[in-house]
Amino acid sequence: MSAFNAQRITAMQWLSRQLLNQDVAGRYFDPLIEPLNPRWALGRMIATVERIEDETHDTRTFVLRPPRRWRGFLAGQHVTLALDINGVRHHRTFSLACAPETWQREGLIRITIKRTPEGLVTPWMHKNLYRGGALEISEAFGNFLLPDVEAPLLYIAGGSGITPILSHLESLACREYTAPITLIYCIRSAQDQIGAQQLEQLQHKLPLLNCQIIRADQGEGQPPRLLQASDIDSIKNIQARHCYLCGPTGLMAVATTLLETRDVPEEQVFQTFFAPLTNPLTDTAGGAVTLMRSNRELTVDSGQSLLEAAESAGLSPRFGCRMGICHQCSCRKTTGTVVNRNTGHVSGPGEETIQLCVSVPQGPVSLDL
Amino acid sequence: MKTLNETQLQRLETGLDAIREDVVSDLGERDARYIRRIIRLQRSLEVAGRILIPLSLTPVGFVAGTASLSLAKIIENMEIGHNVMHGQYDWMNDPALYSQDYEWDTACDSNSWRRTHNYEHHTYTNIIGKDRDYGYGLLRLSNDTPWRWRNLFQFADYVGLSVLFQWGVGLHELEYEKLLSGEISLRDKGGFLKEFFRKGGRQFFKDYVFFPLLTFPVAGKVLLGNLSANLARNLWASTIIFCGHFTEQAATFHEADCENESKGQWYYRQLTGSSNFTGGRWLHLLSGHLSYQIEHHLFPDIPAHRYPEMAPRVQALCKDLGIPYNTGSFGRQYATVVKRILRFSLPERLTRQAA
Ligand code: FES
Repeated sequence: MSAFNAQRITAMQWLSRQLLNQDVAGRYFDPLIEPLNPRWALGRMIATVERIEDETHDTRTFVLRPPRRWRGFLAGQHVTLALDINGVRHHRTFSLACAPETWQREGLIRITIKRTPEGLVTPWMHKNLYRGGALEISEAFGNFLLPDVEAPLLYIAGGSGITPILSHLESLACREYTAPITLIYCIRSAQDQIGAQQLEQLQHKLPLLNCQIIRADQGEGQPPRLLQASDIDSIKNIQARHCYLCGPTGLMAVATTLLETRDVPEEQVFQTFFAPLTNPLTDTAGGAVTLMRSNRELTVDSGQSLLEAAESAGLSPRFGCRMGICHQCSCRKTTGTVVNRNTGHVSGPGEETIQLCVSVPQGPVSLDL
Repeated sequence: MKTLNETQLQRLETGLDAIREDVVSDLGERDARYIRRIIRLQRSLEVAGRILIPLSLTPVGFVAGTASLSLAKIIENMEIGHNVMHGQYDWMNDPALYSQDYEWDTACDSNSWRRTHNYEHHTYTNIIGKDRDYGYGLLRLSNDTPWRWRNLFQFADYVGLSVLFQWGVGLHELEYEKLLSGEISLRDKGGFLKEFFRKGGRQFFKDYVFFPLLTFPVAGKVLLGNLSANLARNLWASTIIFCGHFTEQAATFHEADCENESKGQWYYRQLTGSSNFTGGRWLHLLSGHLSYQIEHHLFPDIPAHRYPEMAPRVQALCKDLGIPYNTGSFGRQYATVVKRILRFSLPERLTRQAA
């Protein structure tokens, strides 16, 4: 970066570059500070685990204390946690399951996490996070937010998709919300219900909250009970409702169609992600590649490296040896899986650095290029 | 020089790939903990040095402070900076250890380094005319380079280069020999020079302006301490690097030999163009494990502290295939470097006997 096109930087940043060769001075000192107390880290935000609560047989709530300078959140937002597992940093995004008001009062936040048995990160968290442990947390983000004005609300949740909705409801309880609220909560079986206690308390605090719990499991030999039209028929004045959906894709699709048929205006329907977004795994190489910075979509076949593909699309990413030695072509992959064609090594699905010259996509991939 | 036949090259390739794979599949917690511990050590040494130099009341304190700062700079350049920039820790997904963003504590801009070292030098190792690290366009180190009168004094050039090593490395990409010959013009190097002055200026400001002024009453002492630390690091880095490729036996190559080379041939060139030296744990750490230059050139992006465990396997494979594995004590290897610089300062006809 030359002096001419440098963005405006603060005096601190300038000095930190001059003296420490770091954009953020904290990064220089953190290796000395973090061993003393991780929450004092300057270059990144470290939260500590205050306590861990069991919700169901496979779901736990982690009560975290973010560092002082964490800016807080709005009901329904999420945070990204960074976890070092066997030396590798993994990022995962989770909804906050509590009210901002509670955080302001107690300095604590709740994150409810279901263990995905075939996953890497959630089983690790269940097994290895302990009271007093530390983990990196991002600022909150997301726009699954409560309406600015009091309006009647409808929530449709499935499984652990209840968590951002708990955040909403807790927040509404703190505000003494007076408009009617309906919650339809679909779960597999009674033992899968998350936040049972929390919901019970909420019903006392929110007299206008109407809670319907739908269990798919109807006993031996019965077909599963899914969300159906009759479930929303009893809702009065549904067109006026602001609707919030969070759950597995199948449920979301059914719910959206139902709301459409009842003429709920589209701009009143909000959805948020349910599980960490992962791409479908395929065994065949090649796939659709999204280049986010240049705003391009390419189709890459199995014979091509990402570098070659980007070049034939007219881009000129930086490269050196073109054989996997020099790392000049390193680039951030934000989602998707790639295979190293020299070693056959298959990458993880999340955000990480890859070498373009030896990487072949396996399914859809997006790159910071 | 001796080469291998197809089957031997194939065996070399499979053998080395297997050694690499074993380490790659084992990378994890241990490596993360190692590099973070080294970074902690380096930070402690630097902070201690910066405090001790101005506050020292006795010469002993001053020397201790300077030694501490020198060690910090050496460890940062060799075991942290050089290795991180090779992408050895990219797999950790930690932005603080990401190869392409790392900036190190020397006058050389890291972007320029990544281009000239990681790419040019590591790809075209010891190919005369393509690997500009071979003699740095300054020294004549084999008969492939025609002799000139200047070469008579090249030992003095070598000493000068070592003393000012960080500036030499910083200006490496200027390709001054091509500038002199008129092959390129200064205008072609405008972008590079801007980067060079930005980074070099930063280092100069820090060590020779900011810290001395900050401790104004003892500015002279701080200036002297910082100069000494930079000098110590310069001499050390230069010595280590010269031991890696310019020992007596280290082979050189021609561009034509290397066209369309296979992975096996590439491995072979890396093997025979590099040399190791033996020593204790601290010597390896302070050299950034470039004491395992052979392993480093075979596996530049494997965390360097793994080279000691890979070396015996590489050496055994070489023995099997009859490939020379150039190693010796630090002192002996360095002596051959000095000998080589001296020997090639004379024209070919005078040294043919010795060869
Ligand atoms: S271009 Fe050298 S590693 Fe990709």
